[in-house]
Amino acid sequence: MSGRKETVLDLAKFVDKGVQVKLTGGRQVVGTLKGYDQLLNLVLDEAVEHLRDADDPLKTTDQKRSLGLIVCRGTAVMLVAPTDGTDEISNPFVQPDGA
Amino acid sequence: MLPLSLLKTAQGHPMLVELKNGHLVNCDTWIFVKLSVRQRFSSVRPPDFEKIMQDGDRFWRMPECYIRGNTIKYLRVPDEVIDKVQEETKSRGDRKPPGVGGRGRGRGGSRDEGAAGRQAKGIGRGMEDAGAKGRGKGGPGAKSGGKGGGRGRG
Repeated sequence: MSGRKETVLDLAKFVDKGVQVKLTGGRQVVGTLKGYDQLLNLVLDEAVEHLRDADDPLKTTDQKRSLGLIVCRGTAVMLVAPTDGTDEISNPFVQPDGA
Repeated sequence: MLPLSLLKTAQGHPMLVELKNGHLVNCDTWIFVKLSVRQRFSSVRPPDFEKIMQDGDRFWRMPECYIRGNTIKYLRVPDEVIDKVQEETKSRGDRKPPGVGGRGRGRGGSRDEGAAGRQAKGIGRGMEDAGAKGRGKGGPGAKSGGKGGGRGRG
């Protein structure tokens, strides 16, 4: 399926850098990207899963689960983002009129 | 107006992407959504500016991220983009719609590989429906004319 070369993904620049990966189903993993393929299977080193709140799966808690060296299956990868430059900010959508 | 031409025109504009799981991604300045023929991946690339991501009730700013295309529920496009789309459709009025080249199907026709052939067929049916029909009706030789005719009749 993804045999074609025309991919928009350029994960080469993330190699050996920290990446945050969200998976379908809601799990979130942070690790160092060691490798990838065109199916978006990812090899993450020192991977840490950020556990979610049992009552509200949209919220991540401070609890973590160390996974070590893992392969993330490409079909489950939903989002890939670098951890460098990622900061938590306040709600940017709060406006006086609620727009 | 085709959805893809709107999205192509919206490149470089801020837009809001809602994902199927309810997360929001708000992109400033540069978003490049490439919905390839199979619409596999959207890359969201604001190189200098930030992506704001809502995660439950927390917000994150990140330099860029890649989002799998099939997790996108919708994209909210700024209003001014729509005017630009119309300009563009005028200027390329007689151009082939993207993905209707004979190349893809020609390659699929080579049946040395069963799997490849099947894939190509699937793609052809999904994405190049109109073009294929038009060509069939138009008969051989009438390449671009046949396509237009097929669409008109259909």
